[in-house]
Amino acid sequence: MTQVAENAENPLLEGLRRRRTPEPCALTIFGASGDLTQRKLFPALYALALRRLLPESFAILGVARSEMSTDDFRASMEQAVKEHGRDEFRQDVWDQLAESTRYVSTDFADDPGEDSVIACLNELDETYGTAGNRVYYLAVPPAAIKTIVTELGERRHATGWTRLIVEKPFGHDLESAKQLNACILEHFEESEIFRIDHYLGKETVQNMLVLRFANGIFEPIWNRQFVDHVQITVAESLGIEGRAAFYEKAGAVRDIVQNHMLQLLCISAMEPPIDFTAESVRNEKVKVLKALHTPGPKHVVRGQYGPGYIEGEEVPGYREEEGVAPDSMTETFVAAKLYVDNWRWADTPFYIRTGKRLPRRETTIAIQFKRAPHPPFQLDSADELRPNVLNVHIQPDEGVSLGISAKVPGQGMTIRTVNMDFLYGGAFRTGLPEAYERLILDCMLGDPTLFTRADEVEEQWALVDAMIAPWKRDRPGFPNYAAGTWGPPASDELLHRDGRSWRRH
Amino acid sequence: MSELSSIREIEEALTTLRHESDPPDGGPTQRTSSMTHIAWVPARWVEAATGTLVGLAERHPSRSILLFPKPDDERDALEADVDLRCYVHRGEHREVCSEVIEIHLCGARSSSPASVVEPLLLADLPVFLRWRGPVGRSEGERKLIGVADRLVVDSSEWPDLEDEYVYLAGLFDEVAVSDIAWARTLPWREALAALWPDVKEVSALRVAGPEADGTLLARWLSTRLGRNVSLTLDPAGEIELVEADGVPVTPTRRDRESASDLLSEQLDLFGRDTVYEAAVRSLTPASV
Repeated sequence: MTQVAENAENPLLEGLRRRRTPEPCALTIFGASGDLTQRKLFPALYALALRRLLPESFAILGVARSEMSTDDFRASMEQAVKEHGRDEFRQDVWDQLAESTRYVSTDFADDPGEDSVIACLNELDETYGTAGNRVYYLAVPPAAIKTIVTELGERRHATGWTRLIVEKPFGHDLESAKQLNACILEHFEESEIFRIDHYLGKETVQNMLVLRFANGIFEPIWNRQFVDHVQITVAESLGIEGRAAFYEKAGAVRDIVQNHMLQLLCISAMEPPIDFTAESVRNEKVKVLKALHTPGPKHVVRGQYGPGYIEGEEVPGYREEEGVAPDSMTETFVAAKLYVDNWRWADTPFYIRTGKRLPRRETTIAIQFKRAPHPPFQLDSADELRPNVLNVHIQPDEGVSLGISAKVPGQGMTIRTVNMDFLYGGAFRTGLPEAYERLILDCMLGDPTLFTRADEVEEQWALVDAMIAPWKRDRPGFPNYAAGTWGPPASDELLHRDGRSWRRH
Repeated sequence: MSELSSIREIEEALTTLRHESDPPDGGPTQRTSSMTHIAWVPARWVEAATGTLVGLAERHPSRSILLFPKPDDERDALEADVDLRCYVHRGEHREVCSEVIEIHLCGARSSSPASVVEPLLLADLPVFLRWRGPVGRSEGERKLIGVADRLVVDSSEWPDLEDEYVYLAGLFDEVAVSDIAWARTLPWREALAALWPDVKEVSALRVAGPEADGTLLARWLSTRLGRNVSLTLDPAGEIELVEADGVPVTPTRRDRESASDLLSEQLDLFGRDTVYEAAVRSLTPASV
């Protein structure tokens, strides 16, 4: 029912700001003893509870192999909320959330395990009125997803809706992604599947859409006529943090490029959707992915870090990390030049780079505009006139800055680039919600706009597979960059060949 | 803080303060403004207004101009202090600063506050005017209201509710209005709306709470339902109980919001609240 129709039916609703409160439901987290649950999911659930955004009738079921009681699980999650939450800890809010939290220790592949999970959910339905509505959060390794999805599919509740949140990585190549999609779609409708990429839940990423489509000044110049090129950087100063088993198989391209980076590229390059519904937004993103030209080997650079220094501290090289093979050929750095072959972006390069053990943690989208065509000023050097750059800072300092040329006060005509900054926290000091808060809430509300659709994932993998196919034939001399530097020299050469350079950070 | 006696001195003092707040070894202090927030604060409201400002500036980086009218002061003078309140942004080494200008309008200077405020408004940004106590009716006060995009009042501060509501209704076509008393009733309005359709035939409302809150709740229900709903009021400092035809109403949210929170929410609003306006207009003689 539309809001207008609802208001006509109930005149008391008019003028009330309709809070986005989901229907009653039970959230089941598979992999509840893991790092993600502690660092992100429970702090997000607590933040939603504090803001009264959870349904009135709500329950949580944690499922994992680790042996512990419900009380142990609650205590562990309480500590996690205190450590990782963005809000002050309020005992009354936590107690209410904890009261409807359960834990089941099981290997889900066992029949009794499956039955105990379902029995617990039925008990929660009866106790808390969650009405058979289920959100299943699969925070588990990829290998476990198929089993869980199959078992859940066979045990669907007779009443209520079911939604499935699937964490990345969604497959490891196009073929496995297709298989996973097929397996899930065997038991669930596409509208019930929420493939999560937490980057899309970040306020600044969503603000990119607002920046582009709610400001009249940018869209007319957001094209090949005015934009020289786009740089997207996802830099991490951390190493692999004990995730060698995962990272050895994934590498930077699967860990970051396939999902986060291509999402950032899509929202930078997409056409205006006709509205902000899930289908419209995702259709436009898929069009960008389909238009991405497969980069040739010369347009892709990979690297692996060796020993170096981060923040003054000596750190080991990737091959010296625990659990990493001494001759590992896994890439920890990728840079590429991509082209979006469409009317808007023809011949405009999108340079992307991501890596571990880079000098700083930073995610930015930089739109570099073409230089002023004819500077009328007498300058010592033409280089003094730098092009305008619009920087969208995704993290850590969320905001937007525009580099413009300004006259230095005094005699003569000295021109210097200055930044006009819009710091998100400076204008809206309400505390930015964590991405997982937004995404979990959206899932409970049944809004998939900020989740990845099946065809989107498959297009992403098709590009990545094509990018890395030539890698099977050659063995670069790894390591090829020192920790604490901006990647291998070839990364700089990728831009120098075009008469450009990476932004200074 | 410094004592200043002209707009020019205020502007110069603000510039000096901004320079002084720049970190010696880093970039400039971040100055992001989203509005000009004016507060008209007669003597008896000074303490409450100052208390509300605490926490507000952090959430709404703005230029806050606190006007303290002193019409009975023998001097014809303007006395001002400026202050820069800076907050370290999360994860940042830079600070975000809000400007607070306190201006005492002595003697005749209090009769034309708009002329004092206008040179200090931040260009192109919305102006919110928080009016403490009954809304001013003099020509000078009306001009000050004319400067604002949104007038924020708290009708529970008014001694004569009916007369003040009638006057306020006359301003609706000139300026968008927020009433903090109305904002306080939101959880109760939500709760009553959630009782639909059972609430359809309600004829009597009993409220234990401030007169303004109770009156607005009853007039809202009356205008929404299109017929009169009687009000029985048990005075209290805040809404403690609402009964519709004797049936207790349970709000979805029971947390009491602070004065800063309530004002902060109003500073996020733009445009007219036609539902509130209808409730207030129903109190005017033509409607009753």
